[in-house]
Amino acid sequence: MNTADFRRELRVWLDAHDLAPGDDHGLDAQVAQLARVRRALWEAGWMRHGWPREVGGLGGPGVLRAVLGEEIASRDLAEPGIWSMVEVLVPTLIDYAPPALAADMVPRLLSGREQWCQGFSEPGSGSDLASLSTRATRDADDWVVSGQKVWTSLAQYAARCVLLARTGGPGHDGISAFLVDMDSPGITVRPLRTIHGVDEFAEVFLDDVRVPGDRLLGAPGDGWKLAMDLLPHERSTCFWHRIAHLHSRLDRLLADGCEPDADSLGAAWLDLHTARCRSAHTQRALAEEGRLGPETSVDKILLATAEQRLFDTARDLLPGAVELTDAGTWRTEYLYSRAATIYGGTAEIQRNIVARRLLGLGKE
Amino acid sequence: MDADERELLEQTLRKTMTGTSGTGLDTALADLGWTQMLAEEPDTAVPLVFRLLGETGAHASVLNDVVLRETGGPPGRTPALPYTGGLWVEWVRDGDAGDRPLDPGLPLRRVAEGGPVPLAGGRRALGWWLLGTGRTMLALARRHVLDRQQFGRPLASFQALRHRLAETHVALEGAEAALTAAGDDDTSPLLAKAAAGRAALTAARHCQQALGGIGFTAEHELHLHVKRALVLDGLLGSARDLTREAGTLLLREGRTPRLVEL
Repeated sequence: MNTADFRRELRVWLDAHDLAPGDDHGLDAQVAQLARVRRALWEAGWMRHGWPREVGGLGGPGVLRAVLGEEIASRDLAEPGIWSMVEVLVPTLIDYAPPALAADMVPRLLSGREQWCQGFSEPGSGSDLASLSTRATRDADDWVVSGQKVWTSLAQYAARCVLLARTGGPGHDGISAFLVDMDSPGITVRPLRTIHGVDEFAEVFLDDVRVPGDRLLGAPGDGWKLAMDLLPHERSTCFWHRIAHLHSRLDRLLADGCEPDADSLGAAWLDLHTARCRSAHTQRALAEEGRLGPETSVDKILLATAEQRLFDTARDLLPGAVELTDAGTWRTEYLYSRAATIYGGTAEIQRNIVARRLLGLGKE
Repeated sequence: MDADERELLEQTLRKTMTGTSGTGLDTALADLGWTQMLAEEPDTAVPLVFRLLGETGAHASVLNDVVLRETGGPPGRTPALPYTGGLWVEWVRDGDAGDRPLDPGLPLRRVAEGGPVPLAGGRRALGWWLLGTGRTMLALARRHVLDRQQFGRPLASFQALRHRLAETHVALEGAEAALTAAGDDDTSPLLAKAAAGRAALTAARHCQQALGGIGFTAEHELHLHVKRALVLDGLLGSARDLTREAGTLLLREGRTPRLVEL
């Protein structure tokens, strides 16, 4: 199915099927809504387009998933951050899990039956992810994992976790990846209280957690490569979803009767439009070349800048909407936007990558 | 035009523009078939020619041709062009510059208010020119920070400068994406020129800083590009004007147009 037909037929279907969320914006409700939307889209087939048949998909180009996510974001049917998590988790499974494991597991996630999480960051390893110290040790056919993860989105809801742990020496080469069942003995999850009031992130404590040998993703030492390979997925499809979401928020700002400051509104739109043009270019590059490289740091910087400018503009032009009322979502979303220059590689890390890899400025 | 032909044309144009500017370049471009290219393959010719004007620092009066093509009027004229602040200018074809211009290379002359002019094509063209100018400023600054040593190490090793140049690169890449996506409507070229003007001014600011003292002298070519960016930004609407116009459009429509689709 081509992109235009897909979009048109999807819109017809969404118009005919009411998947609108309720009034509860709490995290439990968001996660339940996400599962509900996925289930409906999976059963109707929409959720399967753009994924390979080996994992329950219907095939077709990945760009169909970007279109689906844009429609979901534009209609506010699911929170875009948690909606997009499958875009990094599923390609990871497809590329690194034994085929039988991927075929068994991926449909559970895509169909909304399960939520998964991604255990990468640690208290001592944020920007310097390669220094992570959670350790996995071989014990007969199994691995035994101990350590601590942090910023693990949806860990308290997750059935599985794509986990990075050290199996070898220091540095990139000593890291391996696993698909861990979150109900394994020895796992404790503690949600983090955060600035925006949604306990979406959690700490995950692993205490001698036994992981079967067939849950190793790739070979021992492939963990860093796996982590790098998921960046193109995050920075193509997920970014397109997020940009669509931000357009819907600029619409809402206009609808909410903001101050008619043409300069600020124009600047917010210019940033968003630029990020959208760049992201469209990146989608095409991915479709044509099958891979993306360090140039996606440009997309990341454009998006984070656009996101923060949009919510800064909202706070300026809807005075008090962030500070004096918690009606609507401006407060939560404004505060969440502060993280846009931190998660997924900080603004500084992105600029370091641009300087080193794209401008060829050598080492610092 | 296939990729090889395009590559060959780019090499030829770059070589021509490196040796010639102004009325001489007008003649050289005419000999290379500019009029025909503009008529038959404007989507190839305009980005290429205007970006290369920026990259090489040359100039020619080809903006007139782009604007006249849209008006459908006879070629060869010099239409009055809106400048920022409600001013009007003319890009004279005989190379005679106006009175004490900032960028002495550009033959722009203040004129009385002109009639309505179609702007989309001219804005796209100027956007590509600004992009090329910005890319050259970045290339000059990059060369300088790699070559120059202070405190016993290259300037390029200092994170503050690396981040300025990274910021410049990001602005230019964003502008290029907006220019590439700009269509024949009025709004996408408006946003594209705003992005390009802003990127060129960002480049001017950061690259000037990275070049330090030498970039403030007339011995180094940076100042030519900085001045060109300032002048071209104002022509057919500055980044500031266009951004405001975009905001006015949003307030009128009450909804954000999605101007590119997958």
